[in-house]
Formats: sequence, structure tokens, C-alpha cells
Amino acid sequence: MGIYKLDSYVLIIRGKDRLSFIDGLSTNKVEGNCSTVFTTTAAKIIDLVDVIDMGDFIAIVGHQPYKDNLIQHISKRVLNQDISIVDISSNNSVYLSTEDIVVGDKITKRNTWRGYLLVAPNSEVIESNMSEDEFSEYRVENMIPHQGHEITPSVHPLACGLGDLVHEAKGCYIGQEILARMRSRGRQGKELVKQTNPVEGATTKGKTHSLAIVRKKIE
Amino acid sequence: MDCNTCDTAPAVVINKPEVVQVALTISDKAKEMLGSAFGDDRSHALLVGVLSGGCSGYMYDLQIVESTDQDCQELKVDGFRVLVPNASSHLLDGIEIDYVDRLMGGGFKINNPNASSSCGCGESFA
Repeated sequence: MGIYKLDSYVLIIRGKDRLSFIDGLSTNKVEGNCSTVFTTTAAKIIDLVDVIDMGDFIAIVGHQPYKDNLIQHISKRVLNQDISIVDISSNNSVYLSTEDIVVGDKITKRNTWRGYLLVAPNSEVIESNMSEDEFSEYRVENMIPHQGHEITPSVHPLACGLGDLVHEAKGCYIGQEILARMRSRGRQGKELVKQTNPVEGATTKGKTHSLAIVRKKIE
Repeated sequence: MDCNTCDTAPAVVINKPEVVQVALTISDKAKEMLGSAFGDDRSHALLVGVLSGGCSGYMYDLQIVESTDQDCQELKVDGFRVLVPNASSHLLDGIEIDYVDRLMGGGFKINNPNASSSCGCGESFA
């Protein structure tokens, strides 16, 4: 389909505890490249981030409007760990490509569950050739939730289609008890669905179908 | 990714809380258990720290150590050397180290007046 420019922030995290620090505070098993979700003690979403392992540091890419809350959430939990955080958002732009494209050396590309994530320095021009409507259509077609639409601070990850990013066997993290209880009792409350238009309370509208978060039917 | 500019990019400010001079107590049962763990050798110390993570955001970390490279304050409590990292001192002032004698879920427990909530296992707090 094309390339869409995301409204993203990029934080660089250095220090020997960088992976264990993010792992201890988010829903997925963080051992390298992955996507993971930071949640509150009530299991509500703070942000979904893509973790990019660059060898001697990691980059986390999240949704710009949620940046301040995420930084507030993680920075107060840096105690004795070897961690430093730098914000390189103003030096880089983030794109999502629906196809695997060839990029230059300066552009970091990672294959994620949403598509190919591209982090490009401002000196590298990437043409964004998808409109917001086209990006929405791509998301509806593939049932991909997005920040500001389905992924918001008022929902938990299981309700907005991020269940695959909630690791079932990893140890404790903030919000884990609630998510584990929802799973074990089969009571996640709401779920992300794709329905034929018109859809009441649609979170993302497409031409023929839309995404919505609806109360899960008890089977 | 433009990482060559990392040095000039703004560092995220990590607010270090003020170091608090920690006062802590050890319950009689915990003293008994620590006494049998240390034996007569009191050259080792009990390190009482906090790690980030756990269900509630912070986790207790109890270790018997000879020394540590962490910046710590050293206390003498009932004859035991206790080390408290300065970085987590604001979370540990006023705690009581207790020991719960139970087959399941037993062991050392921290009663912490600074904790607004704790998780079920008692190892994590907020």
C-alpha cells in the first residue's frame, strides 16, 4: 500500500540494565526487538512502544502525545539501575511502511506486527505516500489498532487487540495481576472487532468496514 | 536513526529523590531468622534495597552481602549491619523487617509505611 508518517517519539536508552528495566515495567518479554505495552496498576495503557535493539543501546518508539506520561512513568522508577535516557525525537522521523522496501544505511528498519517501522534522521527524506484515510483503511483491513483510536489510556491491552503483546508466562510487571486475572477467568470485558458499516461507536472508520471496541460476548 | 546526535539531544531528566536518613526496625522473629542466617559472622551485611518492576512498580530486594558497589548508608540495627542504597532510601524510611512463619508465602516481609498499595505476594509495592 505505501508509507505513512507516524506521530512518534524516539527515546534512546543506554546502560547495562536497559532491557531488564523495560522488561520489568511492560507487558511483553523484552529481550531484544519487540513491541510491548506500558500499563498502569489498573492495567490501563500508558503507551505501546516498539523496542529496537541497536546493540549497545535500545530505542523505544511510541506515540508522541503519550510521551510525557511514559517518561514520567519510567523515569521515577530508575533507582540503582544503570540507565540513561535521551530524547532524539526532534532529530528523527518515524514511518510505517506496509511493504518491505530498500532503505539507506542511515535509516533503521524493523519488521513489526503493524508493518515495517522506519526511523530516519531528518537528513534522510522519505516520501510519505499514504493519506490518513488510506492508513486507516490499511488498519481496518488488517485489524491493526492505533494510538489515539483504539489504543488509549482508558482501555487495557486485551480490549484493544494487543493481547499478543501481553506475555503469559513472564514475571510480574505493573498491571500484570489484573491482566492475568482477566485471562484466566475469561473476563476481559471488551474486545476489538471489525464490523461492516455502519458501525456505532467506531474507533476507526473505513469505507466498508470499521474497527470498534465492543463488549465481549460471553460464550 | 540519527544516533550521532545523541550527545546533543536532550537528556530525559531523571529526578533523583532526596536521600533520606533511614530508620528501620527488625521484628523479634526476623532477628531470630537473621541470627541463624548470619551465625556468629557479623562481617556480612543485610542489603535492603528496592528494584523497579513487580506488579505494583517497585520490588523489595533483600540480600546478604559482604560489600556492595551501590552507594549505601550503613546502619547498625540490633547488632546487624544493614545497608540501604541511597537511591531507594526515600522508599524505605520507617520500614519494619518482619518474618512470617508459613509453609506457603512465608519468609521475610517488609512492612512499609511509605507503600500506598502492595501486591498479593507482598514483594511488590507502590
